Amino acid sequence: MAKNKWLLLVSSLGVLVLLVTAAVQENLLLEWQQIQAQARAEDGPIPVQLRQVVNPTLRTADRCVSCHVAMGPGEQAVTGPMMAAHRPVVHDPAEFGCTTCHGGQGRATTKIDAHGAAEFWPEPMLPPAMSEAGCGTCHTQADVPHRAAFNLAAATFARLDCASCHRVDGRGGTLRPDAGGMEGPDLSRVGIAGWNREWYAAHLAQAKSAVSGPWQSFRPIADDDRGRVDAFLATRVGAPRLMAAKSVFLSSGCLGCHKVNGVGGDEGPDLTRAGEKDPARLDYASVPGGRSLANWFRAHVRAPSTVVAGSLMPAMRMPDADVEALTFFTLSLRRRVVPGTYLPRDRMRVERFGAREFAADGTTLFGAFCAGCHGAEGEGRRAPGMKPFPAVAHPDFMSLASDALVAETIRRGRPGTRMRAWADGSTGLTDADVTALVQELRRMSGTRAPAESRPARWAKGDPAEGGRLFAGACSGCHGAKGEGSEAPALANPVLLEHATDTFFAETIKRGRPGTAMHGFAQPSTVHRALSDAEVEAIVSFIRTLGGRS
Amino acid sequence: MSDGPAPASALQEFRDNLLAVPGRIVATAFRSGRPVTDRARSSFVFGNVFLHLHAARTHRWSLRWATTAGLGIASVAAFLITLVTGVMLMFYYKPYTDVAYDSIKDIHFVVPTGRFMRNIHRWAANIMVVTVILHMARAFYTAAYRAPREFNWLIGLALLVTTLGLSFTGYLLPWDQLAYWAITIGANIAQSPREVTDAIGITATFDIGGLQRMLLLGSDIVGEEALIRFYLLHVMLLPLVIAALMAVHFWRVRKDGGLTKPADVNARMGPAPSDVYPVFSEMPAKTYHLAAVVKGRSPAVDGGPEQTVPSMPHLFYAELGVTMLTLFVCTALAMVSDAPLKELANPMVPENPAKAPWYFLGLQELVAFSAFMGGIGIPMIVLVGLGLIPYLDREREGTGDWCGGPGGWPLVQRSIAFGFSASLIVETIVIRYGWLREWFPDIPQLVITAVNPGTVITAIYAAYSLWLVRRYNSTRAGALGLFTCFLCGFVVLTVIGTYFRGPNWQFYWSPSDWPGH
Repeated sequence: MAKNKWLLLVSSLGVLVLLVTAAVQENLLLEWQQIQAQARAEDGPIPVQLRQVVNPTLRTADRCVSCHVAMGPGEQAVTGPMMAAHRPVVHDPAEFGCTTCHGGQGRATTKIDAHGAAEFWPEPMLPPAMSEAGCGTCHTQADVPHRAAFNLAAATFARLDCASCHRVDGRGGTLRPDAGGMEGPDLSRVGIAGWNREWYAAHLAQAKSAVSGPWQSFRPIADDDRGRVDAFLATRVGAPRLMAAKSVFLSSGCLGCHKVNGVGGDEGPDLTRAGEKDPARLDYASVPGGRSLANWFRAHVRAPSTVVAGSLMPAMRMPDADVEALTFFTLSLRRRVVPGTYLPRDRMRVERFGAREFAADGTTLFGAFCAGCHGAEGEGRRAPGMKPFPAVAHPDFMSLASDALVAETIRRGRPGTRMRAWADGSTGLTDADVTALVQELRRMSGTRAPAESRPARWAKGDPAEGGRLFAGACSGCHGAKGEGSEAPALANPVLLEHATDTFFAETIKRGRPGTAMHGFAQPSTVHRALSDAEVEAIVSFIRTLGGRS
Repeated sequence: MSDGPAPASALQEFRDNLLAVPGRIVATAFRSGRPVTDRARSSFVFGNVFLHLHAARTHRWSLRWATTAGLGIASVAAFLITLVTGVMLMFYYKPYTDVAYDSIKDIHFVVPTGRFMRNIHRWAANIMVVTVILHMARAFYTAAYRAPREFNWLIGLALLVTTLGLSFTGYLLPWDQLAYWAITIGANIAQSPREVTDAIGITATFDIGGLQRMLLLGSDIVGEEALIRFYLLHVMLLPLVIAALMAVHFWRVRKDGGLTKPADVNARMGPAPSDVYPVFSEMPAKTYHLAAVVKGRSPAVDGGPEQTVPSMPHLFYAELGVTMLTLFVCTALAMVSDAPLKELANPMVPENPAKAPWYFLGLQELVAFSAFMGGIGIPMIVLVGLGLIPYLDREREGTGDWCGGPGGWPLVQRSIAFGFSASLIVETIVIRYGWLREWFPDIPQLVITAVNPGTVITAIYAAYSLWLVRRYNSTRAGALGLFTCFLCGFVVLTVIGTYFRGPNWQFYWSPSDWPGH
């Protein structure tokens, strides 16, 4: 019987030992306690205590500084393992906390939980290389232009050698041995703080009065280049990688299907808060690499339908660097609700005053909205399983299409195709944007609006005869009733309303080089040449299609 | 207090009574006084509602570790641990599909000691399944199911089923991928009678499988209805059922004279050691006439009370010892191993392989061939077979002894060898060469329902058992062989299902050989 007594004693003691061990582990042997125990301030060891940065307005209580002590307010002097002070930034960590920009779990007190390395964690920290994506939590607007313009602006700034006197994003700026500083101011954040718009005149005046030193080397700058320098400066907001990524996003046509902050199409999911997706809820079956949101985006951009079954998004054939940029930008789409006092000016301009989130020139608009389907140069696009997307910047098309036809097609779309109506008030495109896009198409195609010598409707042919000809020559591609199949639909109210008879007749005669549409004025191996009268008859028949398929 | 000195006045009496209140409360709560003598202890046990389920005295045989290995008490202890930790988890758990997963994450990451409690709950639940099965094995091998304990064996089986039900219903609650697809499999098994009704073409009129699935899930899919059903079953219905069954189970153990003992137990135990308090050294304070009237015999008829010791404290040391040991094991496991929590349930992304809880993986191994036989047929055959044991084996030889009865331990050893080889050989054929479907692709499913690895193994075991009955001319020998084979088959199938089945239920030596994701 004594055995049972011993069993009770030993097992009870065992439970006690386990519970005490657990209590000690949970209270006395914590990661942050051990890190703080090794840290030293100027006057000796620092008190081991839970530290946090609290900002009730932003709803942050970030205990990150319990381990990263030196990043806490007034603790820069603390030294020890893991102790590095935060580099100087606009948003003082002492006020904004850490998770506002970096993401992660502010309240957690272990590294795994705080950084979100725990399996299936919903809000992990942003990858360190992509921490600029955190800016997107609050900031939305930045005057970023289309990628070509962006790259040109940066190249111009470099070519003009501005960086020899000015420091930008941690590079450049000549140190003057005598004065111990840079010749010119740091330009890394002038996109936010503003800069002297009369800088050129000021530079010229200074150069003129200089008798020695670097000012003498200042040379006059052409007007175009000065504009580009200004464009470059406008994008200097302390987040160069994010700005570059945004310029890639704006030339990949994503907004043609996706909305960001109420601007864009609605074929695909709204991306406004895509960077806040719960990575644990995504399917990683065909995603190489680890289970992270960034990896998921990367795989998704490369081959959308293998990652999301049934996705209608065409695969983006682009270099790795561009995939990386799109991933980076999508991660930055975090858009937290920010209390009024912290609402940044740029976002206020967008949310309260309807400003565009990016530069609103025609090139940028085309890149942002149209390039996804119609190609970066408007050259059209074919994607497996989808109707071909027309080459809208084709000179043969643009030289025949009136501005009204192009603008109205953008405004009202092409019913029955994936070209939606862009002026129905839900896409964020304005009339001014549409005009800018028409101008952009003119520029891309190198055409001018066709000069009309004849009235819009002049065809007086016999529709019955035209119908017979249409059935023989056209219906194979355009459909028996002009409903379109391989070739675009002709029974389309927008087209029929705004296309002139000249547009139809000339298109039939000349064809559309580069597509399956031959010029019917010349004979080919499969059809004879059509006479002007026959073409007129066909045009008359097309007019009878009535716009209803 | 009539024997005290007469109070001076009513006011004085009031004051004295007031001062005596604490002492009187204790005295009236524990009416037998301080349990310092054996009689007082016996009386204490007898008069306490929580303790009176114990006999006042316990046979020394019952306190030997080899008698039961404490498995029954360990099961109860595990149940109590799940009860306490489960109630704690209920404070934070929300049984709605949109927040269930998040609330488990909160418990795991935010609630102080939440992770610890959930781990203990999970481990105690698994340990309960193990100890209940081992407890059943103990009762079988010591032939404890024999008269007058036949029906208690059946109640024990009901407890086993309820235990599995509790564990299974708890599986869905985290609402993660693991849970979702395990329950999907369970629900499809409930639907498996369709395999038979489809084959004979009466599903349209008589769809018992669909009805079972509908009853289980409350909907066509594993969704909110299923979650709330499983929650209610897990936290209310099944605990009430199991508590009631446990009460009956214990009551019958008590009424049937405690644990099974060999007929010659007193002789085997020898004279009581000197530290055992002698019986009847005090004048009996109670007569047992009423018991004699009800039972027709006096309580001491079964054996000499000299071999008994007061339950308090001897039995209580043993019981508390086992309880604390169980708690120790649960706590230790909870500290080294976290309860699993995968990603949120996603009906669009099936787990591959989707596996049921481990104790059902043996069945899932059979389900791969015939959902009906694996999920319903074989389990019913096993349950009915187990339930019939006490009614088919009515011998007396070997009661109370491990592997008692004709054949004994050598027979059990041979049965272990036979049980493992038979199931391993059948499984080897299945894994190496496939089964009927691979050989005759056009074979009707009804044939496979009748002839599949599960039924073949069952038939082999049954034939072996019948042969043993003839060979030893004893039903006990047949039962020993059959039960041993059943345990071996359970282990083989469960191990294969757990460790050697990968995507599409293919055989893999190791998960590292699985086709990579």
